[in-house]
Amino acid sequence: MIFPPYLKKGDTIGITCPAGYMIAANAQSCIATLVDWGYHVVVGKTLGSESKNYFSGTDEERASELQTMLDDKSINAILFGRGGYGMSRIIDKLNFKKFKKNPKWLIGFSDITVIHMHTYSNYKISSFHAPMAAAFNDGEDKNEFILSLKNAITGKKAKYKFATHPFNKQGSATGKLIGGNLTLLANIIGTASDYETKNCILFIEDIGEYLYSIDRLLQQLKRSGKFDKISGVIIGGFTDMKNTERPFGKTMEEIIQDVLADYDYPVCYNFPVSHAKENVALKIGATYNLLVKNKESVLVEL
Amino acid sequence: MKRKQFIGSLLPAAFSFQALSAEIKFPEKENNSSKIPPYLKPGDTIGITATAGFITLDEIQSAVSKMKEWGFNVKVGATIGKKDFTYGGTDAERLQDFQQMLDDNSVKAIMCARGGYGCVRIIDKINFNQFKENSKWVIGFSDITVLHSHINRNCNVATIHSKMCNSFPDDWSKAEQVQIDSIDSIRKCLVGEKMIYTATANSNNKNGSATGELVGGNLRTIENLTGSDSDIHTKNKILFVEDTGEYLYSIDRMFWNLKRTGKLEKLKGLIIGGFKAKKDDPGEEFGKTIEEIVLEKITEYDYAVCFDFPVGHQKNNVALKCGVSHILTVNNSGTTLTQKN
Repeated sequence: MIFPPYLKKGDTIGITCPAGYMIAANAQSCIATLVDWGYHVVVGKTLGSESKNYFSGTDEERASELQTMLDDKSINAILFGRGGYGMSRIIDKLNFKKFKKNPKWLIGFSDITVIHMHTYSNYKISSFHAPMAAAFNDGEDKNEFILSLKNAITGKKAKYKFATHPFNKQGSATGKLIGGNLTLLANIIGTASDYETKNCILFIEDIGEYLYSIDRLLQQLKRSGKFDKISGVIIGGFTDMKNTERPFGKTMEEIIQDVLADYDYPVCYNFPVSHAKENVALKIGATYNLLVKNKESVLVEL
Repeated sequence: MKRKQFIGSLLPAAFSFQALSAEIKFPEKENNSSKIPPYLKPGDTIGITATAGFITLDEIQSAVSKMKEWGFNVKVGATIGKKDFTYGGTDAERLQDFQQMLDDNSVKAIMCARGGYGCVRIIDKINFNQFKENSKWVIGFSDITVLHSHINRNCNVATIHSKMCNSFPDDWSKAEQVQIDSIDSIRKCLVGEKMIYTATANSNNKNGSATGELVGGNLRTIENLTGSDSDIHTKNKILFVEDTGEYLYSIDRMFWNLKRTGKLEKLKGLIIGGFKAKKDDPGEEFGKTIEEIVLEKITEYDYAVCFDFPVGHQKNNVALKCGVSHILTVNNSGTTLTQKN
């Protein structure tokens, strides 16, 4: 794995919106916080753009801005304003030639899963699955999850302890950490952004899906072999799950337990990675140890 | 905040796109057209089973009566009336019922009672060995796309994509003619009538003609099969897709999945059925129509494309033979799809 240079005071972070529209005001707290941490911030036109539809700009505008930030040596990291939907529309148009020579940290989650897995699979370049601009709002700019990002980008290795869950499967697993949003992890199967899971620790989270749809997504991962040879699974938050008129009859945890019943590697639930406030910075492609114990679990970067 | 800069001026005037070709991890088999199961004769038996969502015995009565009227016997599977939350029985029960129908030589066709969700949970446990020897018609759509795609890819046997028991009206006198005709097209398929379908012209159609094996189904389900043993093969085929109740952004993402997995690249033709999209949330207007979503994915291809084909979660949902060669003709006066042989 290639780990881009960690950030030093005075380095520059670029903010761009490669997917859904975001008003500029929603990124102000994030920008102020990054400046407070000692970084320069450059903001792309896609943030608070003139776009009148779902996207923060046309495909060309979004791709072009991201391309510029990828290629610009004076930008040391890119923090995505928000996810939504849109990375799939531009990912195959991006040119990673300069990025490969001068890798930089890509920071985000949700729809950003596409570029995380794309750069992981194709270029073995690490990135941060972490809070984006909106997570800094409402006085949350100093919470432990934002602080985990602050620490991560300077190269501090993380150790996350979290509470146990009755469905946890105990054990210890070591491997490269990969994962992200379950819908996107399924959507990119068979594409140029597809990923191998062998010997990896896989983490998943999602938001706003029907329970049956979560089951279907997990069945796809299972049927395409993604769960076969991994070393462990981390279940994050499944926020705002919806049920069908005829109730699905299983909780989200039961659905996952059922899908993973055939495997004996460690599994932990309720890990703080999610669309809710609980969302720690995770370094995609870095080697971690997951220790699932009786009373608590620990994920530590080795 | 003073140090915040804008990089807009740095954007290069000529931005070049580099196209990465999708890596196909599941190479396509060169299928010939599928084996055609024996067409039904009067007195033949149609089995009804719930492979996905649950349905009551009452709810299939209209279908049972109609199929008897057509001159067939009906065998009602053990899953009809069974209920395991949303499913028509547990995975084991649905699997057993379907397997029993597949292996019973006296059953000449299997109509899945309804869709919903559930086929993908049992598909890898179904044993198709006897079915390959003594093929029979498997009928349904929506979630049943799993069976169509799996059978097309692994068994090379033709199947029927059509309405199911839950679409047969209780009161035929109140049913619209297109619904009655759609249901009757199942009978026509089953008895071996040569099928001809038409659709009205849509100004977004791409004119042309194509000959190829017909495959397809529910777009969400096709996306979900990617990477699995049921992954759909589209090379040199005419692909049809339909979906309902999805947001436009989600439909767009599914079409990107088709494109990025190479499924749109080597088509002979593309048939777009019903796409009743879920209304955009306020402030989240997607800003593209279904036609625009489809056409922007295929600008570099010159095969025939038609919209508004009568297939989908709607009254006008004709029975289509998957795995069978068809001729698609799209011109200014409309679309015709004709079974080749």
